[in-house]
Amino acid sequence: MKKERGWIKRVFIDIDEYHETMTSPERYRRFRRTLFLVMTTTFLVPLIMTTWLSYYEYRSMMLTNLRWNAESAKRTIETFLTELQTVLAYTADGRTFEELVDQENLKNIYHHLKLNYPGVVDLGIIDHDGIQQAYAGPFDLLGKDYSDRECFKVVTVSKTYIGRVEMGYRKVPHFCIAVSGFNSDTSQSWVFRTSIDATTLDKYIGKTGTGALSDIFLVAWKGERQLQSSSRYYGPPLSIYPFDLPENRHGITISEELNVRDDVVLTAVAYLEGTPWALVLLKEGYLYGKDWSFFKARLFFIVLATTVLALLVIFQITNLFVGRIREADEKRETMLAEIEHTSKLASIGRLAAGVAHEINNPLAIISAKTGLVMDLLDLSEDFKYKEKIASEIRGTSDAVERCKVITHRLLGFARRMDVSLESININNLMREVLSFLDQEALYRGIHVDLNLGDSLPVIESDRGQLQQIFLNLVNNAIDAIGKDGKVTITTKKRDKNSIQVDVIDNGRGMTPEIMNHIFEPFFTTKDSGEKKGTGLGLFITYGLAKKLGGHISVRSSVGVGSTFTVILPTKITLSRRAPDVESEGPGR
Amino acid sequence: MSKVKVLVVDDEKDFATTLAERLNIRGFETTAVFCTEDALALIHARNIPDVVLLDLKMPRMDGMETLKEIKKYNPAIEVIILTGHGAGVPLTGIDRGKHGAFDCVMKPADINELTVKINQAMIKKGNAKI
Repeated sequence: MKKERGWIKRVFIDIDEYHETMTSPERYRRFRRTLFLVMTTTFLVPLIMTTWLSYYEYRSMMLTNLRWNAESAKRTIETFLTELQTVLAYTADGRTFEELVDQENLKNIYHHLKLNYPGVVDLGIIDHDGIQQAYAGPFDLLGKDYSDRECFKVVTVSKTYIGRVEMGYRKVPHFCIAVSGFNSDTSQSWVFRTSIDATTLDKYIGKTGTGALSDIFLVAWKGERQLQSSSRYYGPPLSIYPFDLPENRHGITISEELNVRDDVVLTAVAYLEGTPWALVLLKEGYLYGKDWSFFKARLFFIVLATTVLALLVIFQITNLFVGRIREADEKRETMLAEIEHTSKLASIGRLAAGVAHEINNPLAIISAKTGLVMDLLDLSEDFKYKEKIASEIRGTSDAVERCKVITHRLLGFARRMDVSLESININNLMREVLSFLDQEALYRGIHVDLNLGDSLPVIESDRGQLQQIFLNLVNNAIDAIGKDGKVTITTKKRDKNSIQVDVIDNGRGMTPEIMNHIFEPFFTTKDSGEKKGTGLGLFITYGLAKKLGGHISVRSSVGVGSTFTVILPTKITLSRRAPDVESEGPGR
Repeated sequence: MSKVKVLVVDDEKDFATTLAERLNIRGFETTAVFCTEDALALIHARNIPDVVLLDLKMPRMDGMETLKEIKKYNPAIEVIILTGHGAGVPLTGIDRGKHGAFDCVMKPADINELTVKINQAMIKKGNAKI
């Protein structure tokens, strides 16, 4: 399993290696390339293997068919020849030389034979000197001398003979079958021979040949390899067969030759027992008479078309797949950034709480001591520097007060806040919040316009924290205006699961640079006047909104005003709660 | 009319003594102790304060335990928690009803706010002495 993971890791991308540039285009290019290659290989290897197997299976099937055809044809011709030989031998055995040389007898035999075997051309009896003593047939061959003919010479020795196709005295292609007999009275042998029309062989071969074969013919294996029957490719009998015949005379030899059109042709050669002939079967590659090269072209076309189609599909799938992964990665990155921000908030919160807490105690001492000094000053009579001392002490007290605001805000952000959920009508909550700020707004000549939506859903949230969020936002709006202006608060249902509150002011507005930083801690624009900002208001507000499963965004333009939009869920689900920002219990 | 007896319990000696002094100036009879053991010892010695200003985090025994002890001994003693933690809003983590603290004031506390709280506690006792 480990090994497999390593392999996959090597083929695909090591995520760690690309962590820094997780969404870099190069990563996806590489991923797309690898995926494409892997998918293509996965598809093409089986396709090529199947094609290759089909091709060779097909070829081996053709070879088997050819072998069967060759065996069948060989058997048919051998049977025919053996039958003829047997008929001749039987006829010769049952009669004496004298009976056979009787012309009438011989003619009778000839007619009977011709009835059964139409290919028989003639019959003849040759005496031991090689002179044809009797003849039945269409030619005038009585008295012809055969003593120097191969037929005569061989048959007197081997008792039977089948000759090659030749023209001979008859000037038509024929072959000769002969058997020898023995005259016991004269102790002399004689020869009984018949000529068979070579076209008979064509007929027999034609019977054995099937439509699957391209050509089938006989070749004389001795001498010049003359055709013994007609061939589609190589011409009529006695034409020359251009190829060598195999050495092996037993069984069937199959080889590949090129035909006149340079196509590969399968050739089966079988030597016929007891004859000077070899049977040759030719088969062009494709089963049932079609062209082999056409078959190959078709196979190639199918493979090519399938491959092109597959490549297109793979390309599309790869693109889609990588695109989806890229989208998912980008989403994940955004989420990671969000989580990072939230955890940054939490860390800052913890740090701030720690610092504030530690500062609070010495601050309390300073506050108490300055307070006591003021008390004592109040109790004492006038002395030279009383007023001066009182003024300095007040300065110290003011400074302590400012520190106190900061530490209290920090602690407010970071203190353990067990979110206590209750059903809240956001419109009522906004009215409550405004009741705190009415006086301030009135004093500054700011008109607050409440534009509350009807039939808003009751939301489940923390009342105290929501109050703090909107107090901060409305307070900021008032500060942004300064004097004489308008703050508009609108509430509305956003969708089934959330509501939206907008706090709109027509104050001085913000530049994009400022907007980028307003939610960061200790960033403030209220740097002058008596209401100096701590830079924590919006930071805390942002954290609270997140904690309540909501979100704050801002739109602003300089001189026109700002709109803070708070989106709040109608129900806080556990997964949407931000991590608690504080880990310490209540302290001193 | 006898003065309201206030007991300040805080391990920050400077803070405790200064606060006691300021309260005394304002007419309370204030004692400062710097650990919970001393506070409990004082109470057990029948020196019963009307109001206790109690810091929460102290060595050995913390404020919450001390609060429980005090209330166990004498529920009439009102306790105001003084804490450096909690951001000026009531501590939701502390169930005041359960442990019986009267209120909670953030450090650094404003002396006037503290005086008001002590007086409110006394009103609750039904025995306003000032």
